[in-house]
Amino acid sequence: MTFDLERILKSKEALRNKLTNLPIEEKLRMLDALGERTLILQQAKVQIPAGATGVREDSVPYSEDSQPK
Amino acid sequence: MDIKEVIRTINQMEVDGIISGYAIGGAVGAIFYLQPTATADVDVFISFDIEPGSLIIDPQPIFDYLKQRGCMMQDDSVMIGGWPVQFLPPAGPLVEEALACAVTMDVQGMKTRVFTAEHLAAIALQTGRAKDKIRLVQFVEAGVLDATRFQSILTRHGLQAAWQKFERQFLSDSP
Repeated sequence: MTFDLERILKSKEALRNKLTNLPIEEKLRMLDALGERTLILQQAKVQIPAGATGVREDSVPYSEDSQPK
Repeated sequence: MDIKEVIRTINQMEVDGIISGYAIGGAVGAIFYLQPTATADVDVFISFDIEPGSLIIDPQPIFDYLKQRGCMMQDDSVMIGGWPVQFLPPAGPLVEEALACAVTMDVQGMKTRVFTAEHLAAIALQTGRAKDKIRLVQFVEAGVLDATRFQSILTRHGLQAAWQKFERQFLSDSP
């Protein structure tokens, strides 16, 4: 373990590269596992009371209207 | 969950003539070029055959076909292999082009069509949500974009200003 930020960032980059370069079969297996976790988290989501304030970004469709101004 | 079951099913839909060409986009499409990231659903872009004289896109044949094969509907999605799958028409010229230019990928001997990295990045730029910006940074950092191809897509679809703004915000040391 290190507290050297530069080394930590390099290590993170190396991990990202390793994950990016995995065979697609393996990446898709990981996607399935991540999907299952997402589903569990969605089911356990705490209901936000009506009127509660918070920051939320709604989904937008893939369309020309979504082009940034 | 089994994403390969999704690919198998949409390939079969193509063979059975239910859809005429498809391409995977969104987060699942991006995984073919980037590190795996969690996503809630699978975006499958298809060309809908519009009845002559009609302006309405009818996805009913797709739903009927999948229902007959035991797939359940959930909100706007169809559950295939445990994944919510959304069948989406190309809603603009950029996505239409992405669908036309999609590339064939091999997944353990199974063919599938996926948007190119450059089109996925351009769509992320155009869509512009926080998660799209993260994905766009990942595309840049992974070095998987062909700069010439990407720039020509940005030019064709009027996205240069958005790209310059994105570069200033996320790819520059001095904003």
